[in-house]
Amino acid sequence: MQHELTLYNEVKQIALLPGFIEEVSNELGLDEMLVFNLNLVLEEAVTNVIMYAYPKGERHSMTLKAWTEGEDVLAFELKDQGKPFDPIKEAPEVDTTLSAEERGIGGLGIFLIKQMMDEVSYRYEDNSNILTMKKNYKA
Amino acid sequence: MNFSVKEGDGTLTGVLDGRLDTAAAQEFAKDIQVMMDNADKHLILDLEKLTFISSSGLRLLLALRKETMAKGGDITITNVLPEVKQVFTITGFYSLFQFQ
Repeated sequence: MQHELTLYNEVKQIALLPGFIEEVSNELGLDEMLVFNLNLVLEEAVTNVIMYAYPKGERHSMTLKAWTEGEDVLAFELKDQGKPFDPIKEAPEVDTTLSAEERGIGGLGIFLIKQMMDEVSYRYEDNSNILTMKKNYKA
Repeated sequence: MNFSVKEGDGTLTGVLDGRLDTAAAQEFAKDIQVMMDNADKHLILDLEKLTFISSSGLRLLLALRKETMAKGGDITITNVLPEVKQVFTITGFYSLFQFQ
């Protein structure tokens, strides 16, 4: 299985994600909770690129790929040519035990990605940020 | 996402209907102002028809929570769907709100 989607760095493009995940889901028979979580994970990853990768007002594209590995791993890769940014290392830490007054608003997106996926990795290659996210979809 | 507000008995109920994704959150940031302005009251957020939320939406709800603490009001979240509830749980936001 392999699917690919090209998105521009505009917030409205997020509306393309549910259809992309539905294609993957129809092929693999994913349960509702996982479909919800994949929508969340991919939205957070794409939003990071839309908001922070490029100077404001510049239009650029990014590519999102989905494929399976072995019998039970679903993998996604998001690739953009924006400024180098490793969200795993550079995003602010999230402390879920803090009170409402103490809670900040940074880092929540990447925190959710790490919590909901089994494996998240980042590399910078060929002038591109490449974020790879994997999940056992049969677990 | 659609957002509507009902008023009665000193409470303000906000009903969220649809997907609160990053795009919808940009609109919701304006819509939620009426709740911010009434953050001294008892606020209810009815999430029965909220089918999706991401971190952009959570940030707005946190801002509203902080506003009620500053002004002496409170917020109760009702009818939350399991998929949405787990996002509150994972992020630790579940303990920041009252749920019913």
